[in-house]
Amino acid sequence: MATATSCNKLDLKPLDKLDGNAMFSDPQGVKLYMANLYYQLPIEDFNFMRGGFNDWIGENMVSAHFTDEAVHSNYLDFLTTGNFHWWEQGYKLIRDVNIFSDAIPQLRVSEDEKNKMRGESAFIKAYTYYALAKRYGGVSIIDSVQKYEGDVEVLKVPRSTEKETWDFVMTQCDIAIQHLPETWPGGERRATKWVAAALKTRAALHAASIAKFGDRAVLSGEAVSRKLVGIEKMYANDYYRQVIDAANLLMENGPFALYKPNPASPEEAAENYRKMFEDPSVAPEEAIFIKGFTKVDLGHNYDIYYNPAQTANGWPHPGRINPTLEFIDLFESYAQPGQSSPIRTSAAANDITDYSGFNPAKNYYRFDHPSDIFEGKDARLWGTVILPGTQWKNTEIVIQAGFIKPDGTPQIMEGNPYTHTDGKTYHVFGSSDRTQYSGFDSYGGNYTRTGFSFKKFLDQRIPVVYGYSKGLTDYIDFRYAEVLLNFAEAVVESGITDNNAVAKATAALNAIRKRAGHTQDIPLTVENVQRERRVELAFENKRFWDLMRRREYHTLFQNTIMHALLPVVDLRVTPAQYIFIRTEVPRGWRYTFDPRQYYRYIPGIGSNGLVQNPQY
Amino acid sequence: MQKDLNRTLLRTGIALCAGLLQFFHVTAQQVPLRGKITNEKNEPLPGATATARLSNKAVIADEQGNFVLPGVDLQDSIVFSMVGYEPQTWPVPADGYISVILQATGSGLNEVVVIGYGTRRKANLTGAVSQINNKEIRTTTHSSLAQSLQGKVPGLQIRQNTGEPGDFSTTINVRGFGNPLYVIDGVPQNDNGQSFQRLDANDIESVSIIKDASAAIYGLRAANGVVIVTTKKGGKGKPSFNYNGVYGIQRPTDMPAMANRAQWAILRNEAEINANGVPYFTPEQLQAHIDGPSTDWYGLTMKDASSQAQHNISVRGGSDVASYFVSFGYVQEDGLLRSGDLNYKKYTFRSNVDVQLHKNWKAEVSLAGRYDVKNMPSAGFYNIFNGTRTALPYAEPYANGNPDYLALQQYINPLSSSRSDISGYSEDKGKEFNAYATLTFNVPYIKGLVLKGRAAYINNVNLNKSLIKSYRLYTYDPALPDPYVAHVQNNPSKISNRNFNSDAVTLQGHLLYNTRIRDHQLGATLVFEQNTFFSRSATLGREYDFYTNDQIDQAGLNNQTTAGIEEQRASQSLIGRFTYDFRNKYMLEYAFRYDGSYRYHPDRRWGFFPVISAGWRLSEEKFMQDIYFISNLKLRASYGQVGEDAGAPFQYVQGFTTSGGGGYEFNNGVWLTGAASPAIVNERLTWFTSNIINLGMELGFFNHRLNIEFDVYQRDREGLLARRLVSLPNTFGGTLPEENLNSDRVKGIEFLVGYNDRIGDFTYSISANFNYARTMNKYVERGPFVNNTDKWRSGSGYRWSDVIWGYVLEGQFQSYEEIANAPIQGGDLGNSQILPGDFKYKDINGDGVIDGNDMQPIFYNGTPKMHYGLTLNAAYKGFDLNMLFQGSARYTIRFREVYAEVFAFGLNTPAYFFDRWHRADPYDPNSEWIPGKWPATRFVTNAGTNYLESEVWRRDASYVRLKSVQLGYTIPRDIVRKAGLQNARIYFNAHNLVTFADEFVKPFDPEKIEGAYSAGFSYPLTKSFNVGINVNF
Repeated sequence: MATATSCNKLDLKPLDKLDGNAMFSDPQGVKLYMANLYYQLPIEDFNFMRGGFNDWIGENMVSAHFTDEAVHSNYLDFLTTGNFHWWEQGYKLIRDVNIFSDAIPQLRVSEDEKNKMRGESAFIKAYTYYALAKRYGGVSIIDSVQKYEGDVEVLKVPRSTEKETWDFVMTQCDIAIQHLPETWPGGERRATKWVAAALKTRAALHAASIAKFGDRAVLSGEAVSRKLVGIEKMYANDYYRQVIDAANLLMENGPFALYKPNPASPEEAAENYRKMFEDPSVAPEEAIFIKGFTKVDLGHNYDIYYNPAQTANGWPHPGRINPTLEFIDLFESYAQPGQSSPIRTSAAANDITDYSGFNPAKNYYRFDHPSDIFEGKDARLWGTVILPGTQWKNTEIVIQAGFIKPDGTPQIMEGNPYTHTDGKTYHVFGSSDRTQYSGFDSYGGNYTRTGFSFKKFLDQRIPVVYGYSKGLTDYIDFRYAEVLLNFAEAVVESGITDNNAVAKATAALNAIRKRAGHTQDIPLTVENVQRERRVELAFENKRFWDLMRRREYHTLFQNTIMHALLPVVDLRVTPAQYIFIRTEVPRGWRYTFDPRQYYRYIPGIGSNGLVQNPQY
Repeated sequence: MQKDLNRTLLRTGIALCAGLLQFFHVTAQQVPLRGKITNEKNEPLPGATATARLSNKAVIADEQGNFVLPGVDLQDSIVFSMVGYEPQTWPVPADGYISVILQATGSGLNEVVVIGYGTRRKANLTGAVSQINNKEIRTTTHSSLAQSLQGKVPGLQIRQNTGEPGDFSTTINVRGFGNPLYVIDGVPQNDNGQSFQRLDANDIESVSIIKDASAAIYGLRAANGVVIVTTKKGGKGKPSFNYNGVYGIQRPTDMPAMANRAQWAILRNEAEINANGVPYFTPEQLQAHIDGPSTDWYGLTMKDASSQAQHNISVRGGSDVASYFVSFGYVQEDGLLRSGDLNYKKYTFRSNVDVQLHKNWKAEVSLAGRYDVKNMPSAGFYNIFNGTRTALPYAEPYANGNPDYLALQQYINPLSSSRSDISGYSEDKGKEFNAYATLTFNVPYIKGLVLKGRAAYINNVNLNKSLIKSYRLYTYDPALPDPYVAHVQNNPSKISNRNFNSDAVTLQGHLLYNTRIRDHQLGATLVFEQNTFFSRSATLGREYDFYTNDQIDQAGLNNQTTAGIEEQRASQSLIGRFTYDFRNKYMLEYAFRYDGSYRYHPDRRWGFFPVISAGWRLSEEKFMQDIYFISNLKLRASYGQVGEDAGAPFQYVQGFTTSGGGGYEFNNGVWLTGAASPAIVNERLTWFTSNIINLGMELGFFNHRLNIEFDVYQRDREGLLARRLVSLPNTFGGTLPEENLNSDRVKGIEFLVGYNDRIGDFTYSISANFNYARTMNKYVERGPFVNNTDKWRSGSGYRWSDVIWGYVLEGQFQSYEEIANAPIQGGDLGNSQILPGDFKYKDINGDGVIDGNDMQPIFYNGTPKMHYGLTLNAAYKGFDLNMLFQGSARYTIRFREVYAEVFAFGLNTPAYFFDRWHRADPYDPNSEWIPGKWPATRFVTNAGTNYLESEVWRRDASYVRLKSVQLGYTIPRDIVRKAGLQNARIYFNAHNLVTFADEFVKPFDPEKIEGAYSAGFSYPLTKSFNVGINVNF
């Protein structure tokens, strides 16, 4: 009897641990576990920084800072081999999802429930291996939980080829598409058949591009010879086909459409476009998959870091994303559809290639108001970027690089205020008060260096809340416009024409342009698709991977410096007017992309025994 | 069976009533009493006193040691006492004659020492156990019991970490092993000494410290030794009241001065010149600062001295049937803040009642309670004190000098932070209630067999309330319509309540057997013990939209926070001890504990911890009898195994948890905290195992006047937790669990030397104790070394664990020329930042560059390895004197931030940095350098390599201090009698009176730890001066 009591007394249960089987046997419990898996999912949202995912504090360099979309107001860093890794965390998520998928067969739930579980775990695996493959090429595929029983060797799984890895992603996408429901009860933001299909278009397009454009940058070494990186060209169309099929599923059977496809004016189009990112829940027809932010302190930092200095509301580090002149030049003007329309500052023939600074002899175009120079540009420019002199949060955003004195001496980005004969005092940056302008001052790294400030995703309705991780704007991970553009690219790159592909792709391309206020259709060409992609999906972390997968990075960045547009007050005329100077980014550096960076190096080869990526 | 029990209870009741009657109705049957008082050598003790306790009649023995007390009650008892001897109490014998042999105090061989689950005569001890009694404890005045033990017991390493009222964080460490287990009146405690440190010293009979493997009798929790407290019990005789009251003042032992305005301005100016060559002030501005008034932030915030008071009243007495000890205590400290908002109060009571229910039945009931309150401004002492250090000396405390407007400071205004009415408060209330009941049964017909049952209940409650109020500080701008510009601090106001409640129940059943077969004394103890513990805590907090009052319900509904958790623990044990003595000459003891803990896997939760020990009293041997000067010689040895709980409980249970996982928003606006996947479990996780060996020798010379005890010991621990460093492939996705892998060893020596003697009426004793112990890592799990340098530099296995690496200081550069010819020590910057007066380091490897490769293992870490104490006692007629010197050595202190960087954070800097290298004329870059103790003043970023780890900053903190002095005077009895008292003593004592230490360290107090951020901003240790009175009536 004594023994019996004694055992009972000591048989306590931990009060902070839940029983796994009981948890997975109830949909609410599965949801609890899923919350942790979705949290780890490599969604390139507002907390996706060069250091990784879910970066709540400190870091503020996003992928755009490493492309031609933007420069940082303070840091001069270019891509290094340590950036954008995701290995250990990836394999932790793989372990976590394998724990779930391994448990499914033993659960006492209906076959229906099990299928949903199979679909959801396949989706998570697809997403995870997609994120690994685009960084590392072929990786170790681990599809069930590994058990450590004292022997390290049995845990070592060699890398699959890059093709096998992408094919694994495709298979998991197919399982997910097959098993996942079309919607979840109550509209839960979880993977559906459609989300899985959208993921497949993105992933397959990446794989297809590797196959098609891999020879643009020749890598060598063991990883190449064993096909751990790279896909043979002949497989390109297989993947393009998969993009097309998955996109077709969405376009033909899915409930999605573009948000506000027929605006009455470019102004309305710009505002529609901006609002969709300010609050994605206004656009359920376009947002296929939303990652929500709702918990203060576990939000994000876009509002604090990227508002212009004038609307920082006391936050000491604003203004960090500066869209480049390259990005601004990309946009079409409504007058010339089908081609980029660079900013012209004068009638000079070499105007758009002249970055030599202020030239007193040059006949600059003069403007009454600094935003006049952007008249007639694509609505999405206005929705994406805060242009000099435009309104933001009921404040005129002052971006001014200096002035030209009546005697023709330029005073640009430095120097004392100048009191004009009319009695008015001109300050270099537009004001004597640092909270009253947003451009070019080098103080604190808070002022744009390019002449443009960032707008997309920022919430115009509320003032900046001081402190980290207070931002609660939701992020659209997959939206219908991307699927259309993935489809269009697959069609134009593959030459596949069956099932009326070209017509559908052309229509898709022009539907997006129409939503942006364009009235004239343009033909389906590689250039038109790529420009449309860069314009429509700007700052959605696409450009970085597009340069990677299309192997364009090393040709774009060859001792390359980005450019800025300086709005300058010209006091040589009365009343004073604005002129603009195209120049290199002040205090900027030149960057060169090393082709080995098309793949990240594999961390920890000392213990995992894997073949390293080329040239590391 | 039932009938027997009823009858027993009935009898018990009757006996109880009869006993009480007897107690209240003492018959006055008187006899004359004669007798003789001698010492152990049968020499008479003239001057010894015999006192009847009830009647208070007293008489002094004559030259032959004889005495006569004319008429004493047969119910009375007689106390025999003599300075320098242990007092003894005897009942009045019916025949009216008594012969008493008093033992010299020094020997203590007959002293009864409390050991685990029993007692033992000191002479027969086989383990390393020290005991300290009430009188030796109460030689000083301090709210923490630990302060009354420090320096008095060899091997008991005590360090006071802060002097903050109501902060009982004193480190108590037995022999360098770690935090011991505390046992109060036979019941193991669960709170790491928190209750222990709060005990009222007046209530304590004795404290004994088990330092070797004898602790095995406490099994799984005893690896670091055991501290056993026994509280006072009742006695025989009519009620004897005792009142003890002390009042005193406390002031910091020392306090480093901060720069005044002139010093600050001169240094600030030079900092700019030395870095950039540009003065910070014009000569006129500088002069204005030098002549201007300086704000004494410390003086405005802190008092010179604070008060403390302690009162204790107790009554003890009893009869053959019942005895009691009842006491109430009160302790109060008002803290050094001028605002008076940091203070502490403690109320305690204790009632120990023993009742002899029947010839063979005895019941003991002990009730004790404590209520204490600590109040503090919400900013906490660290921040307030930080303000007194860092606020700039030219800044004014009030905007425009208007006391209604506290001024905004560059960092902290200590005046607002130190006031609860402005910035809010935190209040900590503790409540403890203990109820112990013991029933003892002397089994009839089997002599020496005793059964005992004990139940103990401990309830602990902690209530914390915190209010952080938003308030305004002001700047003054005469140009504005309202010139006082408000700056809101701490917005929004926040309030929180936290409560913690725990119940601990201990049940014990004892079986004790003692018998003597001719010269063979045999003893056996068997105990079954069960401990259960349950706690629940909850926290709730809210923010204010607008502060109204300090109630949760009055705060806003946004940003509410709640948290709560429960905890359960349980253990069961079977304990045994067998002792064998032959003629008090050879002693052998075997003890064990079979311990079961809830923490581990059911298959591996039971552990067996045995100890064997032996003693040999050589002085009892025939061949030693002739060596007249040796009065005692004993050798003893013990070897055994103890355990220590390792790691978090339930590591064998695989489970999902809602902590540590990420969350997700599946439904717009609803955050779902996810469940984290299970960690990899280790079902084999178990306790650390310690093997402790102890060899001891006890020596007495010259009739116990000189006594020496010497011990050497070694503890080997195995199974310390570490993660196995097999290099798992990083595709595994998980980390391995903790396992019992590492090992270490503590080695130490300790000794105690005491001498006591008497010259006429003057008696004195001197006693020194010493302890030195170090810890060595043995096996340390780690990855392979890259090379031999890596092994030398980063290895930690099979090395002392207390070493810190640093640069070897060669002195200070004397000239630019010397700098130019010196090895490069500034890394990429070369020696460009180095100025004359900067610290110069030794290029150990001779490569011309001072870098990490030149670091050497030259420092001890921050934990003292050596502890010593010296106690002096003297008495003459009614006067008594006690002095205690105490100290620690072989450790270092290094401050960071304000105390160890010039202009840390750009705020004020300590005055000692004023003794620095500087130009004769700061405005003349060609003027000569004037040497000083510190390098030329610069901000941290420009200071080159001056802050590298070297003996400049990491200082030897060894110290000796006069820990306490107490001078008492016992008022002659005939005077006291007239006031209706039995005994009265007045005394004066002082604590931490004088300290000897390194001159840099001394102002910070070497005993105090560096504290948060190593900033040295914890509450200063205090010295105190107290007067007290102790009255018996």
